[in-house]
Amino acid sequence: MLTRCSHLAFSLLLVAAVALSGCAKRPATTQAAAPAPTGAATSTAAAPAGGSQQMQSGEGTRGGTATPAPTTTARPAVQDFASVADLTDVFFDFDKYDIRPTDAKTLDANASWLKSNPNHLVLIEGHCDERGTNEYNLALGERRAKSTMNYLVSQGVQANRITIISYGEERPQCTEHTESCWAKNRRAHFLVKPR
Amino acid sequence: MSLRRSFPLVVLVAFLALAAPWASRAQQQQQGAGGATDVWMNVTGGGTKKLNIAVPEFTIVSGTDSTGMGKLIASVTGGDLTFSGLFSVVAGTGAIPANNPALLEQSWREFAAAGAHAGLHGLLALRGDRLEGEMRLYDLVTPEHRLIATKKFELPNGQARRLAHKIADEVVLQFTGEQGIADTKIAYVLGPRGAKEITIADYDGAGPAPVTRNGSINLTPVWSPDARSLAYTSYKQGYPDLYRTFPFERRPDQTLAAFIGINTSPAFSPDGKSLALTLSKDGNPEIYVLTLATGTMRRLTRNAGIDTEPTWSPTGRQLAFISDRNGAPNVFVMDAEGTSVRQLTSGGFHTQPRWSPKGDSLVYTVRQSVHDLWIVNVDGSNPRRLTNGTGDSEGATWAPNGRHLAFQSNRTGRWQIFAMLVDGSAPEPITRGPGEATSPSWSPRLP
Repeated sequence: MLTRCSHLAFSLLLVAAVALSGCAKRPATTQAAAPAPTGAATSTAAAPAGGSQQMQSGEGTRGGTATPAPTTTARPAVQDFASVADLTDVFFDFDKYDIRPTDAKTLDANASWLKSNPNHLVLIEGHCDERGTNEYNLALGERRAKSTMNYLVSQGVQANRITIISYGEERPQCTEHTESCWAKNRRAHFLVKPR
Repeated sequence: MSLRRSFPLVVLVAFLALAAPWASRAQQQQQGAGGATDVWMNVTGGGTKKLNIAVPEFTIVSGTDSTGMGKLIASVTGGDLTFSGLFSVVAGTGAIPANNPALLEQSWREFAAAGAHAGLHGLLALRGDRLEGEMRLYDLVTPEHRLIATKKFELPNGQARRLAHKIADEVVLQFTGEQGIADTKIAYVLGPRGAKEITIADYDGAGPAPVTRNGSINLTPVWSPDARSLAYTSYKQGYPDLYRTFPFERRPDQTLAAFIGINTSPAFSPDGKSLALTLSKDGNPEIYVLTLATGTMRRLTRNAGIDTEPTWSPTGRQLAFISDRNGAPNVFVMDAEGTSVRQLTSGGFHTQPRWSPKGDSLVYTVRQSVHDLWIVNVDGSNPRRLTNGTGDSEGATWAPNGRHLAFQSNRTGRWQIFAMLVDGSAPEPITRGPGEATSPSWSPRLP
């Protein structure tokens, strides 16, 4: 009658996790991004180090509840930006975020276009290849977008026209697991929208 | 794919060594003196001493078991005990009849003859909307097969698996002095790149249920210490911002941080009052601590490199993090004020540090030709590899008892969540469904 149990039937998915039922929730966010306080001048550019950004603790707290204040700075809607053929991607070495000499020429051209089209805002996306871990790549993509932005600013593009966003390794443009593919993914990409 | 595996018989020597303290523990408990620090079994690693426990089908004492719940619960509890690494389960066929001491005794005799050292007799009462379970734990080493512990549980009907997990945790408590970890959840990210949603499942992978459904990119869920909420990064408003969601309540998400730049890498402090996180609003990725009650943000790192992935020590007095300030990313430690920074690991592409619940070590990810999990003592000594280079193994998360790690691996060809013992032994898949599963976070014991 007794059997040594080597495999317990674990495929029975009966009544799984009723604790969860009824709470598969829609991602409702009531605390919508609060608008920047009036007078926050440059709404788009990442502030230079030193923290001129607003970060007033408690401001924006609703109804004195214990929930933390949504700490928000106004940013242009990502979906309003679109790629434009005149702005060319630049690429990075593995685990690097410095601008390579050949890419500096590309950025010079991009800077020229932006200066001749002063009514456009630009969104710089920073991307990584799939190697490395998720969180680090979000930070690395951020650094790539930032060094790209800094280069454009050094070439005379107004910082307040530029917004940056990191996608880390989440939006590869090439999905094979090869070096040539990874090299294409380590990039900064440009999108624009009219002011 | 089965989560379970077979075990060799435990040798007699091992069980004799266990029998004496186990019997005395039962006496202590009757006297109300059972100390939480008493440890009756080796609980530090893969270990060789396993206790053979008989887990026959649960006996139905009230109601009609039309769905085979008695069998299911015994199976799930047995699975939990096997997973713990402490037990080898001896299963029987059929349930022991209710209120029949003679047949119960005969069953224990047969189980003991088959090598069982302990017997778990479960009784189930199915009362409409309620599910009542009782566990009775017997010592099969003593000739009289003495009853050493009983406990009753009551849950809403439909939570059979949770009842099984609670019983397993109680059995582990009886033998080790520390509650098991079966009544926990694992949160993870499910989906391909560009369309990732947060999902939670039981710790054994059962009952996966979506938490986010926003069609955006959702990343790195992290449980709060009360196991009632998760912090995570989402692009649902366009940018990578930090949110808090309450998966067991009808309650809207909170926005925790939505600054220009990245808002990532959440880590709740052990007291649940603060959240360490990474923001790049001041120029590059730096670590901050958000006081949740007030919204006050305190900056901890000031460095031109990347500083990210904070993880708290269990005392809350220190944080580990990664920084590429000296080249490739390595693990650093600082106190909770951001001072006394010291480098813990060197030479590597080291990311994803997670401080152990016991406080004595940190697990982290090392990138060489592939990613492997390593563990290092808190003083930086004895770094050692836990996974063996079969595919990539990344993003470890500790079980609340510090005995198990869950992590993501692509060793089978796609990303899935695995669990293993903290010494790297017994890796097993947790997620079994379709899709790519990454970024696990093991919950504290559920409230």
